[in-house]
Amino acid sequence: MIEVRDLEKSFGEKTVLDKLSFSINHNDIYGLLGPNGSGKTTTINILCNLLDADAGMISINGELVSEKTKHLIGFVPQEISLYQELTCKENLMFFARIYGLNGSKTVERIKEIIQIFNLAEYENTKVSELSGGWRRRINIAAALVHAPSILILDEPTVGLDVEARYELWELIKNLKKSGVSILLTTHQLEEAEILCSCIGILHKGRIVAEGTLDELRGLVPAKQLAVIETVDEKTVCKKAESYGWNYRRYGGRLTFLLPEKYILKNVVTKLDGISLSSISLQEVGLEQVYLEATCG
Amino acid sequence: MRRYFNEIFAVTSRILIELFRMRRSLIFWVIFPTLMLLLFGCIYAGGSGATNSFDFTPPGILIGAALFFSCLGGPVALLVGERERRTLRRILVSPMKPISYFIGIVAAHLVIAFGQTVIVYGIAFFFGGRFHGSLLLGLLIILLSVFSYVGAGFYFGARFARRTEDVNGPIAAFGVPLIILGGTFFSVATLPSYLCALAFLDPIFHMNEALKGVSAMGMGVRVISMHLIFLGTFTILAVFMGVRSYKSMLLQEKRG
Repeated sequence: MIEVRDLEKSFGEKTVLDKLSFSINHNDIYGLLGPNGSGKTTTINILCNLLDADAGMISINGELVSEKTKHLIGFVPQEISLYQELTCKENLMFFARIYGLNGSKTVERIKEIIQIFNLAEYENTKVSELSGGWRRRINIAAALVHAPSILILDEPTVGLDVEARYELWELIKNLKKSGVSILLTTHQLEEAEILCSCIGILHKGRIVAEGTLDELRGLVPAKQLAVIETVDEKTVCKKAESYGWNYRRYGGRLTFLLPEKYILKNVVTKLDGISLSSISLQEVGLEQVYLEATCG
Repeated sequence: MRRYFNEIFAVTSRILIELFRMRRSLIFWVIFPTLMLLLFGCIYAGGSGATNSFDFTPPGILIGAALFFSCLGGPVALLVGERERRTLRRILVSPMKPISYFIGIVAAHLVIAFGQTVIVYGIAFFFGGRFHGSLLLGLLIILLSVFSYVGAGFYFGARFARRTEDVNGPIAAFGVPLIILGGTFFSVATLPSYLCALAFLDPIFHMNEALKGVSAMGMGVRVISMHLIFLGTFTILAVFMGVRSYKSMLLQEKRG
């Protein structure tokens, strides 16, 4: 289990983490979402003992983060950080050795990892000769070779095509079953929705919303959303207010928060007499939660 | 202890496997000193067919044309490569000690240096050259030279080289003048007196003179002691500066 309590970090005048607190339970996939500069990388750096916090603490399995906890962490950087001229197996061997594995233990663990990641076909292929999807797999496998308690995945599917992304999601879901806790940072909200059992939204160095997907959905005061395009926004907003519909501009789109579920025809009828370019009904998703939390 | 050995072995074997796979660097590290040895061997023989030019030529070629590029240029390229591939960050996150990484790199370059020594002297022996002095003393000088070069390589790599394109700049700017001044290709005796004085401050001069003294003239420790003292001091300084620069580079890298 990972516990982050009241973590503070500033660079000069700039406060990057402001009493950040969250915890990750055993076997959880915790999604840390937030815009660029919200403090995700700084949190990871402190967790990996690359940076010291100004205040607060992080513990892993009850042990405060230090040089001694490095072996408890498996870190998967956003970029493919592997030795391209080495084969998959040689890369795994290298990372196993620098994490202190040796002898028959290394061989056994590498066999196990090759099986988990379905790498048998490519174990003797140079990384430079593999496709992006397979490289991503090995990038993750190399972080797990020393059997860490926590796996940190920093934007694990960035730059992958749809098929490879789905395959990798499946793999990450299976890793959860193997008993490792996962901290995932991502900009892809769909990824967080599919993979994470708990999501924390980080904004200006603080967790501004946290919970399961359903709990987070509850933070948007609506049962349904109506996204409307019109040249006569003033009239639409006035009319909507008369029905008790609040509105937001999520990503520049005029969105009404409907307090109950409607069918499209009923919404159109309620806005009768106003010229609408387009109208669509949507379920509340993580995108709206994220925008609600980070944009106010 | 076993842990350190494991880490060092991981780094050394990784570097050597990569080098053998890529081949290009290795081939150039063989071709360049070979050609220089043959060229200068012939130049010093003066077309007379004298074989003792291959007694005098190998030390300078080994120090200045072989080890210089592999053991100084190699670590610079390695550090730049680790940064560019972002593997350095992964290494930082691991529990591996920086000293294991440094020694791992030195060990890999010792293997390369051994190979280059065998090739350079093998060719020289083929053309009638001989190693006249103590083999152990010769190996000590080569060992100190490798440590000096790798230390300096760490210093340049950590301080000046951020991208692959940056690698050749510092090596050419600082290294090539030092090679020439150090009497690698031409005897220092041919230099004007003020350059001779300057050459005395050049560590490559002491590497060359020490190895030439032992290899070509069969000199003992006492005769080359001045060069050995200078070389030993420079080695300590280079390793210290290299490790310090590497540590400060790691700190920068940690801050992201």
